Order: sequence, then structure tokens, then C-alpha cells
Amino acid sequence: MATCAVYTTPSLHSCSITIPAKTSSGFHRRQVIVFTSKRITERGGRRTSEVSCSAEEAKTVVIGLAADSGCGKSTFMRRLTSVFGGAAEPPKGGNPDSNTLISDTTTVICLDDYHSLDRTGRKEKGVTALDPRANNFDLMFEQVKALKHGVAVDKPIYNHVTGLLDPPELIRPPKILVIEGLHPMFDPRVRQLLDFSIYLDISNEVKFAWKIQRDMAERGHSLESIKASIEARKPDFDAYIDPQKQHADAVIEVLPTQLIPGDNEGKVLRVRLIMKEGLQHFSPVYLFDEGSTISWIPCGRKLTCSYPGINFAYGPDTYYSNEVSVLEMDGQFDRLDELIYVESHLSNLSTKFYGEVTQQLLKHSDFPGSNNGTGLFQTIVGLKIRDLYEQIVAERAAAVAEAAKV
Amino acid sequence: MATAPAGVSTSARGVVSSKAELPKPQLSKRMLRLPWASRRRASTRRLVLVASSPTPPNISEKVVESIKKAEETCAEDAASGECAAAWDEVEELSAAASHARDKLKAKDPLEEYCKDNPETDECRTYED
Repeated sequence: MATCAVYTTPSLHSCSITIPAKTSSGFHRRQVIVFTSKRITERGGRRTSEVSCSAEEAKTVVIGLAADSGCGKSTFMRRLTSVFGGAAEPPKGGNPDSNTLISDTTTVICLDDYHSLDRTGRKEKGVTALDPRANNFDLMFEQVKALKHGVAVDKPIYNHVTGLLDPPELIRPPKILVIEGLHPMFDPRVRQLLDFSIYLDISNEVKFAWKIQRDMAERGHSLESIKASIEARKPDFDAYIDPQKQHADAVIEVLPTQLIPGDNEGKVLRVRLIMKEGLQHFSPVYLFDEGSTISWIPCGRKLTCSYPGINFAYGPDTYYSNEVSVLEMDGQFDRLDELIYVESHLSNLSTKFYGEVTQQLLKHSDFPGSNNGTGLFQTIVGLKIRDLYEQIVAERAAAVAEAAKV
Repeated sequence: MATAPAGVSTSARGVVSSKAELPKPQLSKRMLRLPWASRRRASTRRLVLVASSPTPPNISEKVVESIKKAEETCAEDAASGECAAAWDEVEELSAAASHARDKLKAKDPLEEYCKDNPETDECRTYED
């Protein structure tokens, strides 16, 4: 007996998957078989009636990662795949400009591959890539659903160099599927498929500083062109991308530091990890006492830090009418013992051994953000996702065992 | 199951306590790789990427062209969709250029080996 979960939105009450006569998207499907139902009450008193149904069980855990271009998605991806072990490489023998990354356990899909308009098409219509009109959400939903249920798909490739849509590549269902891009949480159907979602929210000043770092060495770019580029994309970004953060389970917000007055270099950062409360497989990280408000400066007698030091804060809050816990770090790490000291005081990190967070940060010390909150929180979220994955797998195994007994 | 963190030599002390506490390893400073503080290893790799490797010429050309086109398009009508699409293209190409630069970064065979095997003799680092 196979089970899957369906959510209470009216449009999703039926759990049948139909096989279309011809699919241009070219994926291989299997037939729908069973339908059963049971009710589960969510903890915390919130009742969502989960109707378990349909054919294949959900086999893959799907994670969504949203961020604007140039905002650290690739770094996050590399940290995440490293937590699961192994390095993620582009598929061997395929299109060299493929955006997909594959490792033993994880496959990372770039949602730019679901652009419905290539660069010329967008120029003609006068739309940016941020605009939903330039993306094929139906195809995105179908293929992510297929992969989630263990069916391989032929996914198109968007070539960032030429700006054209290349012939599709075969993607086999992995244990963990990460979809990263501009719109993972935009379409409600795709949002329902996600087991966990993350949004990287970079403030305007920091974004500007990072883009300068990235582009200034580039011939042709000047401060004005970088600024103009950010300004021109802002309306579409605010209208379509930014609202996704209210749907995210975890938001990593990057702001300029408060420790150095008037700092605009963006080297020292204030990073906030905003974690949704009440999720089934995710328990937020906390400092000292869960649910209380803490302000902590670790530098003092036991730990000597160099300028500007490190400040931590933790507390409950509301974020777009969701209950959240916020863990905040301002400043940067200079030495290993600062890292270990901080790690030993954080709780609910889902590490498998003492010092795992520090080890992961050291392993990738050349990645940007390894000495401040961005690297720290990305690593912690990576460990949380690993924990979520293991919980879901254990649950499914238990469900299968239950079914076998019956 | 406690394993030693990569690049850090630990002597796991058997801490016996009534609470199920994870043993806290003693960190030997000699074996620490602290890239951001270390002066012994070649620091060029740790510098900001901007100066390290050039963009492949074809992408570089595209970026320059797209910036010129965007400036022209926006000179005509700054609020139009075409202007936004043009700058979006600049952004996309700049991102592609930056990724190409990352790929081109000289792959040091020793670094690659040491990433996977930090405990071997060739990969030990010392800090005074």
C-alpha cells in the first residue's frame, strides 16, 4: 500500500494523476493505482487534514531555495551538498553549460531551465527573467512532481552563456532534490511539493556591495552600470520574488552591520536566521533557553575577540503573520576557538558530533562568508535539512513496515 | 559516533559522566588550518576573487556589448520593459562571467588531494 500526502486546498483534494496522451515535456510516467485516506492532526493544535492517497509514494525529499541572482545560492548549494557528503558536479558527458549539479545523494536543479522565453524572446516582449511570464510553471510543477514520485524526467536546459534553450537532459530521481532559482515558491502547486523552503534575503546595501565585488573587475562595468542594473530589476524583484519570503520555512536575512557605525563596505555583516515555528520535521536552533529573548556577547573573559567582535541575539517574533524564532549574529569570526565557543552554546543544531558546524566551516574556509553569519547559518540550515531528510525517511520506512504488517 | 574534524587533530578524552554528553575533543593548535589567519600558505588563493582569474574572452565580450546596448536602450526610455530586460541581460551575463571565472580558477592538484585527505603527510600544516 502506497501513501502520499495531500493538503487541504480545494483544488488538491483529488489525488489522481492522469497520463496525458502525448507529453511534449517528454517524461516517463507510471500508472496511478490506489486511494486511501486517514486524518492526522498537526501538533500545536493546528489541524490540517492530510489525506493520504495515490499511486507512488513520495520518494524524494524536495528542498526549495530562492534568492536573487548573485546572492550566494551557489555557495549555499556547495555547503549543503558537502553536509550530505561528496561534491556536486555537473552531469558527466552532458551539455557543458548545464546548470544541474549531481552528487551521490543530492541533485540540484536550477529553475532558470524552466524559462519559457529565451533571451531574445524576453527582449522582444520587454520582460525580465524575474517576470512570471517568462517561466513555464506548468512544466516546472509536472517535472518536480514526477521527480518527487520517483520518475525520471527530461528537463530542458537554459544556457546562460548563449541565452538559448538547449535540448533536454535526463534527470534521474535522487534522494534529495534541491530546486534553486528565482521562483521556487511562486507557484502554489510547486510550493506544496516542497518539504522545506529557504529564502536568502539580502538587503539592498549588501547586495550592492556584493555585486561591486563580483563585477568591478569586469571590463565594461562601472559603478553606474552596476547601480543601474540593480535599479532596473528592482520593480520586478519587489513584485514577484520578494513576496516569496513569507512562504519560506527559513529566511536568511543579510543586513549591514550595526557594530561599525557608517560602514558601507559590506565586509562585516549582520545575519538573521528566521525559522518558522510549528513545522513537523524542523525544530529551530536556539540560544540558552528556547522561547526566551537573549542578547549575548561571547567576547569577554573566557573568549578574546578582535574588533569589531561578535554579537548574538535570539528571540521569538512574528514574521508576515507567522510565528518564528530569530537567531541573529553580527560580526565575524577571527579564530577557530571563537567558532567552537559559539557552537558549544547553541542548541538544537542537529549535529552528529561536537564541532561538526566548525568542521564544515573549516572545510570550506575559502567560500565567501565562512567567517561570518552567512556561512554559519547556511551550514546550520544544511544540517537541519539533513536532519529533516532522515526524519522523513524514517517515517516513510515506518509507514511501509506498518503497511506490511497489516 | 565522533569522528575527528578534518584538519584538526584531536585527542578524544574519554569523559565519563552521568549525562550522555558528547566527548569534547582537545584541540591541538599545531594542526589547525586557519586559512584566514594563516600566513604560511600562499595567500593569493584566499584573496578576493576579483583579481585572481580572468573571464574567458567570449563571455567578457558579451558583457561589454550588453552593457552598451542596455545604456542605449535606457537612454531612449528609462521606464520601459525593454530597458529592464536589457539590464536583466547584463545581470545574467555578469553572473555567467563570474561562474566561468570560478571554474577557471587554477585547480591545484595538491589542494584537491588535501581536501579529501588532510591527515596525510603532504597535507599537514603548522601554525606557530
